[in-house]
Amino acid sequence: MGATAEHIAFVVPRLADGSVVGGAETLLRKLAERASASGRQVTILTTCATSHYTWANELPPGRRQVGGLDVEFFPVDGDRDIETFLAVQNRISAGVRVSRDEEQDWLRHSVNSRALCSHLTDAGEQYDVIVTGPYLFGLVYHAAQVHPKKTLLVPCLHDEPFALLTSFKEMFHNVKGCMFNTEPERRLAVRLYGEPDQAQVISVVGMGLDDRIVDASAFAARHGIDAPYLLYSGRREPLKGTPILIDYLEAFRARNDIDLKLVMTGSGDIPIPPELQPHVIDVGFLSETEKFEAMAGAVAFCHPSVNESLGIVLLEAWLAGTPGLVHAHGEVLRYQCESSNGGLWFQIYPEFEEAVLLMLNQPETRRALGQAGRAYVLREYAWEAVEKRLLAALDAALQGA
Amino acid sequence: MNETVTIGAPGMNVAGIVAEIRASVERKRAEGAYADPRVARAEKSNLTNLQNDDDFFDFYMACLRQAFVVDINDFPIIERRPRLGKLLVALKRTIWNLLKFYTYRMWTQQNQINGLLLSALESSEQKHRTTVKALEARIAHLESERH
Repeated sequence: MGATAEHIAFVVPRLADGSVVGGAETLLRKLAERASASGRQVTILTTCATSHYTWANELPPGRRQVGGLDVEFFPVDGDRDIETFLAVQNRISAGVRVSRDEEQDWLRHSVNSRALCSHLTDAGEQYDVIVTGPYLFGLVYHAAQVHPKKTLLVPCLHDEPFALLTSFKEMFHNVKGCMFNTEPERRLAVRLYGEPDQAQVISVVGMGLDDRIVDASAFAARHGIDAPYLLYSGRREPLKGTPILIDYLEAFRARNDIDLKLVMTGSGDIPIPPELQPHVIDVGFLSETEKFEAMAGAVAFCHPSVNESLGIVLLEAWLAGTPGLVHAHGEVLRYQCESSNGGLWFQIYPEFEEAVLLMLNQPETRRALGQAGRAYVLREYAWEAVEKRLLAALDAALQGA
Repeated sequence: MNETVTIGAPGMNVAGIVAEIRASVERKRAEGAYADPRVARAEKSNLTNLQNDDDFFDFYMACLRQAFVVDINDFPIIERRPRLGKLLVALKRTIWNLLKFYTYRMWTQQNQINGLLLSALESSEQKHRTTVKALEARIAHLESERH
């Protein structure tokens, strides 16, 4: 019988709480909650910021309980040079190779908290394992340097120019191990950084979901929607593929005599042509129950992003019994569709049109896809299964730490 | 209105469904069902995802051929407001005729330029594709000789 990781620190740039949401933040909070519920002592170390645009210190620093979790808030460094950060970031985004010094400048002027890292330096011995992520933040990079041999990274890795930085390759090899969200994400890390070292703990953990049954007609009734609709949930921005969804809906409505709507939950502004605006229903942030109701009533849940490490909202849509429709170049989401038999994928507009018509015209097929997705989530993403993988990874990280 | 693909199998096999969808799309593409400027416009945000995909580029160029012409044809002028409807339609028609008179020459020239640019782009793309293929074949040949 191996040793047990008793005290675990979770280091996250923001705490997912209320309107502060984000896939990675939610994932890390949920993992922390499960570790705590299984009897481990858990401390979340995070910043006082709530907005991922401004990173202003909006919450008071200090230690307090949040939703039954022990959370310590530290201020974000106020002396970051945004101009230097953006200058390097724009070059990396454009695929330009930058020097190691420039990488370090970029990380230094990213979101950081010297106070949080000082705490890890001074009090890090009290933690058996430090879990941190996502990989892209200066805070996570620097926190992983403090006690690398007891640090487990939850990278939420994407196939993007930032992932090619030498500094991140070093970080992946220096830490004790990684907890990936999906098998394609693990394969991506191997492709980018090479095989992990023998002593590293490499695990695919993911995130669990709680089952819930909702009324599939409640959302449409509440919002007066009497036409079939596609659903998108999450941030609306080019990186998430939402402009494709708008363009495709416009073409679909113009080419087919079908009153198809698009319901969007979440936040972010994207341009919508005036003539399409009555058919794009923006409901903003919804409660979890209402979000599930919206999912349950949709023809399909459409997730056109090609950069995801785990499609949590896609899993939620399956749990609601609704099939997914994803971009063929979104490796993780497509893998999830192939594994579950719960969703279809498109590469070009004509394939999107055919897939939507199929779901509209063949309700039995649509229902069967949704049910296959639901069965997959209940099997692979039940909390019991995820918790087992999580605790095994935490305990394995203790060996040779 | 498009006819949709029919899936007969009771068990779910999404790879099979997607393969059937793609076969159906290929068939309709050959019949010209997607030779439609609206399809070209719909794909503009998808270009970055598929920029390294030769098949997509061919498809996009085919779409562009349908979309490069600015539509200068007449269109039905209507008025939904019941009051003064006829008068408003007559007014709009007069304004449109004036606009058409002033802009017809400009749009015709723009269409010519769009067509010339598209031809140049196609020619350049074809030339570079041929060059790249020749270079790839040469590298493969040199590498096989080296081993």
